[in-house]
Amino acid sequence: MTSTLTCENLSKTYGGVVAVRDVGFTVAPGEAYGLLGPNGAGKTTTISMLVGLLKPDTGTVVVGGADLAADPMAAKAKIGYVPQEIALYPDLTGRENLRFFCRLFGLPRREVRARVEEVLDLVGLADRADAKLDTYSGGMKRRINIGAALLHRPELLILDEPTVGVDPQSRKSILDGLERLVADGMALIYTSHYMEEVERICSRVAIIDHGSIVAEGTRHELVELVGGADRIELTLDGDVETALAKLRGLGGVTEAVRTSAASVRLIAEGGRYLLPSVISTVDGIAAVTAVEVVEPDLEATFLHLTGSTLRD
Amino acid sequence: MRPHPVFALVAANLRRHSRDRVGLFFIVVMPFVSIIFVGMALGGGAAASRLPVGVVAQDADPVAAAVLAELRAHPDLEITAVGDEEELRAGVRGGALAAGVVIPPGSTRLELVMTQSNGSGMAARSAVDASVGRVAGVIEATRAATSAGATPARAAELVRQAQAASADVEVVNSDTASGTPRGFAYTAPANLLLFTFINSMAVAAALVESRRIGMLPRAFTAPVRRGAVLFGEALSRFIVAAAQAVLIMVVSSLLFGVSWGEPLGVAAVVGVFALVATGAAILMGSLVRSSAQPSAIGPPLGIVLGMLGGCLWPAEAAGPTLDTIGHLFPHAWGMDALLTLSRPGTGLADVLLEVAVLGLMAAVLLSLSLVLFSRRTRTL
Repeated sequence: MTSTLTCENLSKTYGGVVAVRDVGFTVAPGEAYGLLGPNGAGKTTTISMLVGLLKPDTGTVVVGGADLAADPMAAKAKIGYVPQEIALYPDLTGRENLRFFCRLFGLPRREVRARVEEVLDLVGLADRADAKLDTYSGGMKRRINIGAALLHRPELLILDEPTVGVDPQSRKSILDGLERLVADGMALIYTSHYMEEVERICSRVAIIDHGSIVAEGTRHELVELVGGADRIELTLDGDVETALAKLRGLGGVTEAVRTSAASVRLIAEGGRYLLPSVISTVDGIAAVTAVEVVEPDLEATFLHLTGSTLRD
Repeated sequence: MRPHPVFALVAANLRRHSRDRVGLFFIVVMPFVSIIFVGMALGGGAAASRLPVGVVAQDADPVAAAVLAELRAHPDLEITAVGDEEELRAGVRGGALAAGVVIPPGSTRLELVMTQSNGSGMAARSAVDASVGRVAGVIEATRAATSAGATPARAAELVRQAQAASADVEVVNSDTASGTPRGFAYTAPANLLLFTFINSMAVAAALVESRRIGMLPRAFTAPVRRGAVLFGEALSRFIVAAAQAVLIMVVSSLLFGVSWGEPLGVAAVVGVFALVATGAAILMGSLVRSSAQPSAIGPPLGIVLGMLGGCLWPAEAAGPTLDTIGHLFPHAWGMDALLTLSRPGTGLADVLLEVAVLGLMAAVLLSLSLVLFSRRTRTL
């Protein structure tokens, strides 16, 4: 299948400091691609080059067959960009803001009214369309911010932290809407500090750090990079040291450490399935009062690859 | 350049300004409050009013009486009797009097008191010269008739006949320059420049806000040329400046009877001044970080430039040094041009220098501001 976005060897240097180095990836129609990285990793610079705000030092960006450098007007017409900030006029109504973007994107006058109504329905704000934006809640502003990027029916939607400061209900509404867009065939690039959003929305993820992509793949592939071992947290009541010694000898357990007076951590392949053996091993030595099995996730992978949490 | 994006930006910006009630108050109401009150303080009336001239003289002296009668009869002069020469000089220095005349008793040598480089003083001098010339003419004619053998009574009769005959000759003076206009004729153009500039600076707040909230970078991600976005923003500010100027011209013409002069010349002056204000607004919008700053900086800056340019009081009252400094800035050139055009018989050809200087200032300001503005909006 032809990619909606192909970017290759993107690099950008500011005064000798490399912000982005040889970044390249593709996004297919109907695919959601996550871009994860700590602050200052190069995500915003990469996105700025993808939407045509920054000219890369090297590399190419092709959107829907149009080269952004050679034919920027054609390429930009295929991109919808949702910036992190609410980039809308606060003293205009939601409807007026959408009309403005229709005209900015050159929609024919006769299509503007219908398209604005469609998008207002899509983002669930038809009933507040004629209120000024500065009277909207944070979630409503985020929804109209996304809506403004959808008016011209882009092939590629790029969202930079679209749910910052949004209440859970609005977040769910936004994520549901994005899933529908992807299901309808829109390509999507998504950056977020919320790992669970990326895990939910994106079928492929790139982890970017120090300006380079350090890992890329499906969630499963990324998790496999740091090994598939589960973490089992046990709270015991009894002879903890004896129990720990027994557990170290249990098949499948690769690591067993005492984390507090009554707590033990085990690292084990397929931890969920090993749980009955764990409990029977300590039976008669200590009572298991609490147990938690933590499967490897994107957060753990991110931590492993970048050495920091996503909110650093 | 596609028309849609430019019109979209202009329409959005104008809609935003139309909802700013404080901004509208300063555009629609404040200029006229200022025109009315300052205009009344400066003598009211749209036409150039009479020039105040002080006279130190003794009515009993025949020469003084004749000169005073001529001066009082002059349509451009308002004669005030002043007690002594010192008081007269203080009045001229302070600007209360356009000029002063001292007529020593028994002498035909008159002393004219005026300040240098003072337009009103020059105009008063011209009127005084004419009046004194007529008295001198009568005296000379009487002497000539007496020398020819006429009795004093006959000489006086001959002079009266000569004066009556000369009254049949109407001299139309097309050069009616009679100094700086007063009243509304002065405050209307002054406030046009003052408020066009101040309100342009104030609306730069919306420009800063657009920059701050990321609206402009977002606009640059649309399939629109960067130049079109910048043009749209500049055009929006120009329309506000021009609309302010047109509003003041129309209302002052209708309500106060202000005559602005030849339309082409006025349009040229107001157009280039609106471009200057636009350039200043974009420069302000590029330099400051907070949308509160243009409203805080713009009006004081506009008032200072207005003071230097003669928008708050006649430039002649400020003296030559301030007048020279004032001409480093656009307001003084604008005032010179609009006051020239307000005189009958003048037109664009008479203000080409002022239009050229303002055009140059506009070109420099717009170029500088658009380059800065483009740089400020280049990065996310």
